[in-house]
Amino acid sequence: MILPLILFILGFTLLPVLQCIFYSFQDRITEEFPTLANYRLIVGNPKFGDALKNTLIVTAIGLTLEMGGGLLIALLLTVSSKIKGLFRTITMIPMGVPTIVSGVIMLYIFSSNGYFNEFLYRIGVIKLPIDWAQGGIRTLLMVAVADMWKVTPLVVILLLSGLESIPANIYEASAMDGASPYQHFFFITLPLIKPFFTIALILRAIDAFRIFELPMVLAGRNTMFLGTYAYSEYFDYNNIHSSGAASTILLILIAIFVFSYVVTVGAKEVDE
Amino acid sequence: MGKVLLLTMIKGIKKPKGRMFLMKKAYRLLLGLVILSLLVSCTTMAAPKSLKVIMGLAEEEWNVMREHIFPAFEKEYNVKIEAYQTEAQDTEKILEARAKANRMDIDLISQDNMRLATLVERGLVEDLSEYRSLIPATVIPALVDVGEFGGKLYFLPYRPNIEIAFYNSLKFAQYGLKPPTNWDELFNVARTFKEKEGVARVAIKADLSPCTTVHLFDFCRSAGGDPVVLDDKGCFEAFVFLQKLWPYLSPDSKTANWNFMNRHIATESVYLGQNWPFGMNVIVKDGGKKEVLAYQGWRGPVKESHVLGGDVIGIPKGAPNKALAIEFAKYLMSKEVQEKLATYNGWPAVRSDAYGTVEEWQRPYFDAINEALKYAEARPNLLYWDAVDKALGEAFREGVIEQKPVKPALEKWAKFIRDNKR
Amino acid sequence: MKTAEKTGVVLAEKKVDQKKMRAKVKRVLLFLSIIAIILLILIPIYLLFKISVSASQDILTQHPPFLIKNFTWKHWLKILSAGQIWNPLWKSVIVASMVALLGIIIAAPGAYVISRLPKKIKYGVLLAIFSTRMFPEVGIALPISVTFIKWGLLDTNLGLVLAHLIRVLPLMAWVLTGTFDTIPRDLEQSAVVDGCNKIQALVKVVLPLSLAGLAAGAILSWLESWNEFTYAIYLCLADTTLPIKTYYYISRGNWFESAAYAVFLTFPVMIITFVLQNYLKSDYLSGALKY
Repeated sequence: MILPLILFILGFTLLPVLQCIFYSFQDRITEEFPTLANYRLIVGNPKFGDALKNTLIVTAIGLTLEMGGGLLIALLLTVSSKIKGLFRTITMIPMGVPTIVSGVIMLYIFSSNGYFNEFLYRIGVIKLPIDWAQGGIRTLLMVAVADMWKVTPLVVILLLSGLESIPANIYEASAMDGASPYQHFFFITLPLIKPFFTIALILRAIDAFRIFELPMVLAGRNTMFLGTYAYSEYFDYNNIHSSGAASTILLILIAIFVFSYVVTVGAKEVDE
Repeated sequence: MGKVLLLTMIKGIKKPKGRMFLMKKAYRLLLGLVILSLLVSCTTMAAPKSLKVIMGLAEEEWNVMREHIFPAFEKEYNVKIEAYQTEAQDTEKILEARAKANRMDIDLISQDNMRLATLVERGLVEDLSEYRSLIPATVIPALVDVGEFGGKLYFLPYRPNIEIAFYNSLKFAQYGLKPPTNWDELFNVARTFKEKEGVARVAIKADLSPCTTVHLFDFCRSAGGDPVVLDDKGCFEAFVFLQKLWPYLSPDSKTANWNFMNRHIATESVYLGQNWPFGMNVIVKDGGKKEVLAYQGWRGPVKESHVLGGDVIGIPKGAPNKALAIEFAKYLMSKEVQEKLATYNGWPAVRSDAYGTVEEWQRPYFDAINEALKYAEARPNLLYWDAVDKALGEAFREGVIEQKPVKPALEKWAKFIRDNKR
Repeated sequence: MKTAEKTGVVLAEKKVDQKKMRAKVKRVLLFLSIIAIILLILIPIYLLFKISVSASQDILTQHPPFLIKNFTWKHWLKILSAGQIWNPLWKSVIVASMVALLGIIIAAPGAYVISRLPKKIKYGVLLAIFSTRMFPEVGIALPISVTFIKWGLLDTNLGLVLAHLIRVLPLMAWVLTGTFDTIPRDLEQSAVVDGCNKIQALVKVVLPLSLAGLAAGAILSWLESWNEFTYAIYLCLADTTLPIKTYYYISRGNWFESAAYAVFLTFPVMIITFVLQNYLKSDYLSGALKY
């Protein structure tokens, strides 16, 4: 039963991935293999260091915001209220917006005479527009927030299906035992939805590491990310080899993150 | 043929021989399919019913094509033109995927001449050297050169294009400024806006995409430099000037490409910026910003220079209807079509003997284009164009955006170009 | 004096139904936070909508107003009357729905098996399935698309569906594994004891219990396919999808049309999530647990 799934995914993707990794170890001009020339080329570029740093920071900020916000929204969604159905539908909308479109929306908001600056200007916080794409932490924060708008629904839906799978009688039992809502949340809800939390976190981390379209629209190629780097090397500079090298580094980075998360957090689960 | 195939299949069924039979049957079936597909392709070769074309056009331009350009050709050759929209950056993706799959279904492309080297290097387009004689004698020579790589002609000229400078005339009048015609004036205008409004209002396309490269070519060349060499005196002068200018350039420069530049100008975030002429349709016609006018731009200390852009025609390798595609290319270069394109689209003609009468509102912009075209210089055709592109972008990032010393930055990236020469 | 007295009275009253009061405050707070979140989510969409129904002077200015001042349907009429929106819409709807459906059919059995594996192997398998999603699409979208083009699936719905499934299946497998994990094995076993065979137990017990997870997976897949872009560029030319249409208007700088397209894109999303979210309800679960 598992075969169609694995065959489908690996059948189509394994070869292209391996091929791409192969290119990354092949010299662009002499076609010599294996060589580390491409890696030396990109790691030697100061821009690459920035891209690595930016990717890590934006992932950290983004994940914190998204997981926190997602959990909050998911919890609010479990409380029944009159507008619950509407609320639920609304929370899902951003996910259906293509990234390129969300980039344009966010550019309307964060460009130098965008609506966010206009808002700050009207409430009197600023006189002159803030340049959100200036670089540094400010830009990373903008990218993380802009990304959060689109991707938090994924977290919400995953956590929600976790929350919904907690049988109602557990809540009743803990209420009878006199547990405070606070205790209830930390000792019952959180452990029960932990597997879902893990799924959401890993899924989001993988995509957050690969971010490229949104920052490209919002900050041009001035604030580089690893994903932007891989894209730009291939599509702007026609270099499949250095692009492959950047992709491979990204793959390794993601793999390290996922494995260390699974080993530290996942191992505990096995013990339980 | 079909009859023979049928007979062999029937014969096969009559003589069952276990596994061998099955294999034979499969083999015959395969053979039959191959023959059948050959037959089908033969018939299409004999009388093409449609010509598949991809172009990157705005909606108004598509309407012009469908109403005024395609029908005459369709009628003459009894063929249907299937034309589809593709952005320049996607053309290479689309062709490469089809070429690798050995299923080229596109007969003709029109492509931005800034993105040709990749098509040639990846072997995606036909060598059209034998059709050189089809190019009308009146076509501007620089436009023919653009399509040449390593002595071979890969592309046919069909549309010249050049950047013009859009400016917000109301804002300029408000501060008593005139559109700058040289670097000093440019610097003054940029500084004045920043001082008066607290925000810089002059932008260049500095998103470090190929758009930035175009600007840098203009700056370097008009200071007498060669951007392909990069560490010569002219480029040095240009980069030093840009470094000085950068603090007075709009923060929107960083996101400005050929698309967002229009928006920054239309939303009055930017008062002066260069862009391709299609901006007039977007900013003035659709956006109703009549105060945004255009002129040819500024000259440098040595001369005035503008990169000659535009679209060229190419034929994908393995195009199913090459002969007809060549006819269509010929048609697109004809005087009649060029005059229509000038009249309805406001495109300058590719040949000196074609004149169009543009609409009244377009005239000032059209004049600016023609004025700028007088100082047009083609971009060099290098297979290592990507290295030049990258070096210019990186040198700009280090020397201008990060305000690091210009000389080492230029030397470093000039070396990169030399190392990647092919 | 009087006011103080009054306050005292009020305070006393409050103490009496402090519980009631607290519940009320809680509800108001809850309501307010829900409203705040809804606003945050909707503001970007609202801005797009505003742009799509505004005359140009409201948008193309240094200090754009937040409210709609000069209302016009002009841009909407333009995109609707151009007639180029319906085919891409159908194509996107059909492809996304097929992706969601096929995704469940392929991923659910696999995920069920994975969820019944020992924990350590389980993570290994899941990560293997997911490893291909860890690679940037930049390098691999082309060779994958080439395969489909070779099969003659250019400009077909099937080609795009298969391509989207590659992206969606790992996601789906993971979500569904998580869902099946929460279904106790004892339930199945007791069903078998009750005289069901293995398949019946799956259909009658596991399937209804996993409806919430399946719905979540279906929504995610539908949305992923709906806004997918990279493969659509490679695989669709004559017959494009809605995101590609939108991308065209965006990259050509038609602000108003692209805003209208972008808003239009969200309508089917609302419908589909509204329909599918009913299955997310926990009733299914608690109902089945009584079985």
